[in-house]
Amino acid sequence: MNGEAMRDQWYPVGIAAQLTPAGRDSLLLGEAIRIACDSDGAALVTDGAGRALPVITRFGHVWTTLGQPERDLFTIPEADQPGRRLVDVGTVLVRCSPLRAVENFLDIAHFPFVHTDILGSEPHTEVQRYEVEIRDDVDEVWATKVSFYQPQAAKSAQGGINAEYMYRVPAPTCSVLYKTCPARPEEWDVITLFVQPLTETTCQVWPWMALFDEDSSMTDMIHFQQMIFVQDRSILENQIPALLPLDPGMEIPTRADMTSIAYRRWLKRHGYTYGAQLVAA
Amino acid sequence: MSSERFLIEGELSAPGFQRWLQGHARRIGISAQIGRADADAVLVTVDGPPALLDAMEMACLLGPIDVWVESVTREAA
Repeated sequence: MNGEAMRDQWYPVGIAAQLTPAGRDSLLLGEAIRIACDSDGAALVTDGAGRALPVITRFGHVWTTLGQPERDLFTIPEADQPGRRLVDVGTVLVRCSPLRAVENFLDIAHFPFVHTDILGSEPHTEVQRYEVEIRDDVDEVWATKVSFYQPQAAKSAQGGINAEYMYRVPAPTCSVLYKTCPARPEEWDVITLFVQPLTETTCQVWPWMALFDEDSSMTDMIHFQQMIFVQDRSILENQIPALLPLDPGMEIPTRADMTSIAYRRWLKRHGYTYGAQLVAA
Repeated sequence: MSSERFLIEGELSAPGFQRWLQGHARRIGISAQIGRADADAVLVTVDGPPALLDAMEMACLLGPIDVWVESVTREAA
């Protein structure tokens, strides 16, 4: 398998509240798995040979691995903060590289053009300078001091605001976005993208949120976020090359792409190459 | 137009890195003159619009697949 280092990672494979004893079949890194629960509702994940795989239930999702992770699944301390509403957004099947899905989530510049009049609008298209670093102490990619005008930053937003963002990549197919909370400007809303790599060119995206929003219904919050991801899907499924290049090749990254560049550098350094293109396009 | 020196540091011994630098500079329309070039550091003088020098820095940070760029330090030439 391309990207052996990625076997030793935790991946989302389902919503904990939706497990059934009958179970369902899926794929992880191209290998068959089955996700079910026992009579007490505890998650069970098995590989194609029926071998039980390690399981963690966290952030409303079931996580498993085909390898032997050296580290526990990352944490999101805000998830335990009183008053937040935890939202299992559902799932979207996307015919793209799992790494492409994460990279798209990290891209700010597409907001006015793909999420027009929601997460961005013309003429507010310029991406202001922000800071990006690979934090060696936690081995994560972080982008901070990101600022962007958004007509409707969240379901709870009343009109346009200059939204502040922080992006975090704690695992090769997961990203956590910390975003200005319209209802409580002193807090961050947390919106995550958990990606299950089915194959190198298909993935199951499991968004999850931890928000301060006392007014919106759960259905409205889910619909808002699903609308955003469906808008992204048509872009993701038409990207060329399908795999994420770890070499600039024919692309011309600009300063606005700093987070993408840091993410790709981090993937390259660790050999997280399942879903990556290793030769110049 | 600006003129800057890029000190690129990392594991740069792969053959073809200098050719890649010049090819990418040509692709984005800036000039690049390679000075000192070792296995762990390459000094290149680049001339072009500031936004394109930023783009050159971004491309260098990722680099070709067989090279690991640890850092790019920029200074006015």
